[in-house]
Amino acid sequence: MKPSRRLWADRLRFDMAAALAVCALLALVPLVVRGPYALGIVVVSIYFAIVALAWNLLAGYAGQFSLAPAAFAMIGGYTTALLGHYAHVPLALGIPAAVVATALLGWVLGKLVLNLSGPYLSLTTLAFAEIARVVIGNSHEFTRGDQGMHVATLTQSRVGYYYIFLGVLVAVLLLLYALLRGRLGRFMMAVRDDPVGASSRGIDVVRVKSIAFWVSCAICGLAGSLYGTFSQLVSPELGLLQQTGLVLSMVVIGGMSSLTGALAGALLVYMGSEWMRAFGEVQTIVFALLVILFARYLPGGLWGLVAARQRKGAP
Amino acid sequence: MLALDLLANGLIYGCFYALMAVGLAMIFGVLKVVNFAHGEFFMIGAYTYVLVSLKLGVSPWLALPGAAFAGALLGWLVERLLMRPLYASYASWGFMKDEYAVVVTFGLSLLLINLVDKIVGPYSFRGPPLVDIGRFAVGPVLLTGQKAIAAAVAVALMVALALFIKRSVWGLQIQAVAQNRLGASLAGIDATRTTSLIFAVSGMLAALSGALLAPLVNPSPDIGAFPAVKSYVIVVLGGMGSIWGAMIAALILGVSEAFFSVYVSYDYRDAFGLVILVAVLLLRPQGLLGEKGREV
Amino acid sequence: MSLLSVSKLRVQFGGLVAVDDVSFDLREGEILGLIGPNGSGKTTLLNLLSGYIAPLSGRVRMGDADITGWAPAPLALRGVLRMFQMTRVFTRMSAYDNLLTAGMARGLKEAESARRADALVEELTLGPVQFLDAGQLSGGQRKLLEFGMCFIEPPRIAMLDEPFAAVHPVMREVMAKFIRSRHAQGATFLLVSHDMPIIVDLCQRAVCMNAGRVIAVGDIHAVLKNHDVIEAYLGETAAGDEPPSLEVSG
Repeated sequence: MKPSRRLWADRLRFDMAAALAVCALLALVPLVVRGPYALGIVVVSIYFAIVALAWNLLAGYAGQFSLAPAAFAMIGGYTTALLGHYAHVPLALGIPAAVVATALLGWVLGKLVLNLSGPYLSLTTLAFAEIARVVIGNSHEFTRGDQGMHVATLTQSRVGYYYIFLGVLVAVLLLLYALLRGRLGRFMMAVRDDPVGASSRGIDVVRVKSIAFWVSCAICGLAGSLYGTFSQLVSPELGLLQQTGLVLSMVVIGGMSSLTGALAGALLVYMGSEWMRAFGEVQTIVFALLVILFARYLPGGLWGLVAARQRKGAP
Repeated sequence: MLALDLLANGLIYGCFYALMAVGLAMIFGVLKVVNFAHGEFFMIGAYTYVLVSLKLGVSPWLALPGAAFAGALLGWLVERLLMRPLYASYASWGFMKDEYAVVVTFGLSLLLINLVDKIVGPYSFRGPPLVDIGRFAVGPVLLTGQKAIAAAVAVALMVALALFIKRSVWGLQIQAVAQNRLGASLAGIDATRTTSLIFAVSGMLAALSGALLAPLVNPSPDIGAFPAVKSYVIVVLGGMGSIWGAMIAALILGVSEAFFSVYVSYDYRDAFGLVILVAVLLLRPQGLLGEKGREV
Repeated sequence: MSLLSVSKLRVQFGGLVAVDDVSFDLREGEILGLIGPNGSGKTTLLNLLSGYIAPLSGRVRMGDADITGWAPAPLALRGVLRMFQMTRVFTRMSAYDNLLTAGMARGLKEAESARRADALVEELTLGPVQFLDAGQLSGGQRKLLEFGMCFIEPPRIAMLDEPFAAVHPVMREVMAKFIRSRHAQGATFLLVSHDMPIIVDLCQRAVCMNAGRVIAVGDIHAVLKNHDVIEAYLGETAAGDEPPSLEVSG
């Protein structure tokens, strides 16, 4: 194999190394940050990082621009909450159940949008997400509607939760790396770049899209379920379109089609917006503006800048 | 009779929806992208109408053109600053143009909502009605003066638009660019200017829709969300890019929503439209009047 | 020996019969030219044979297997590969990765794909650009890359749709050389082209279509001298006159 930093395998390896480095830094955070409020902010930003990575897999690598990631996080959270509340299912089963439920629904959604692309696909996933949110929000007897539902918690320790989330983040990164490094990763990117061409070379486009959907949605469901146990509450607000917008901006700013981009983007945007709260409620304005500017002038995101420097340095 | 009343109200709301949706249909017809900030044109129109008539103390009938102007200006700016890359040669998201449009218009939507929220505040103040007539009855149907007048204005605008598209030089250029961008520019039509025009018209119509409805609802920064979603449903149902399709679909949606909310469920009436959207996309993606494309 | 036998294939769009009762054989190891004026149905026929459209009626058989109506991916795994008129490559990965992906799609392991990719890069003179994103390649280089992607695992049948259209003469030579060398190794081609000199140069036999029907099949020279074929391309000749020749010197 040619020694070069420009092959996909090499780019991915560099990306993964950087992502793990960020995780290593994150592992040290509780030593420096003591206050539970501040730590909580980092925990939530890790939640968003997991969702961002999941969405990035589906949109950035497989080219399926879904607008439903927040909705699936919400569905995951509610699965655990409903099972816990009505069937007294313990979290050890409730959380995996959320993963299974969202994987299944993700697979269904994938099947629905199989023949759609571009704006049609985005609109259908948007409709799916909104239907889910409206149904959950309006089923007052079942889900207590907008008031939300109580969820049990894994541990009372905030530091404990921090490392749980970090652990899940690392696990998700490893899973994504394994997926992307192999045939499936390449096939996803082929489907993203040219579905017609991909099928003509022998790639089973249906299967590839399907897998991208259910894996991505399952990870969102896991994140949502965990978040629910962390905040001990799930509400339809988890699935608001605005949350999806937030995830989109994180990935666009961080850099689409890269692991570190999604991760760093989530951390920067969420922690940045919390920090900006001190200056008055301008954070959404600032980030919305940043998203537009990045999309317009810096489509590779922040990671794009890093990766370009890395490629220039290749032999 | 309840059914007749529902029908009338459904048609009236359908007119408002139509005003909102045709602009979206035009944009899709020309650029093949969805504008996710469309709801915000509606919102800006509503706010402009309210602020102009309340703060400047001007007659509501003058505030309407004010709203129209604001919408047109915003539409023009969006095209000029954000949409050019989609078809100009320096496209950097070139191979993912649909995604670029989604991201950029989504961001714009968030930006506008929060800017308005910051500048004007989240408090809603109802706009003054165009005519000070309260409820009156037309046969078995109960209407308010504002509703009736607003519907009439909406219909008038639809007719004007239809004539504009079919008869005027600009309208023909719009049709040409929508059918074949390259061909139209080879024939000497300035496709970029035509696209600007389409965005301006789209913004203007959506803003007017917001202005007409401002006296009926309380404008708040995120008020554009529901009309926007309904517009997507309408544009898809009518056939992406078809203006006639959008008008017909708008009426259909207005009426069926009215009946659904009374006979089936009031709470889920918004989900109803979304279910239609999904059903159309799956069963007949070209909608009622759209055309099927060829891939290979 | 017949590798692909097409029998009474028919497809129509609305009222237009694009492919009308088309039958012919593709013999193993030959380069068969598919010619005909614009709109004759050549690309539609290719779309049918490569799985992008399903026929209304008719059969396509490869050896013993009935492959009528098969989708593109299963066909590709069976060795029926197709190249497009508008070159299709994966724009956001490097040219080399394009080859790797194509190889792995056909079932090769990554290491084996890499070995073959190295050889192909050499043969197709893509060395200097192999690490650029495919989207950055010139049109001709993309065509060569597409060739590589089709041949990284020798296909049983390669269908080429106007491969020489709008290509630099130097690239054209590289492509022709590539086709000849693979042909010498036993590959079977179906070649759609308007470029008569190349058709005459590469093909032994040809099928000519007009308005959806096959109007001539057989030896390339015989087909090009066929009266109906000349008429299809150049219009009617006055009775008694010698019809113009389609074998333009290249």
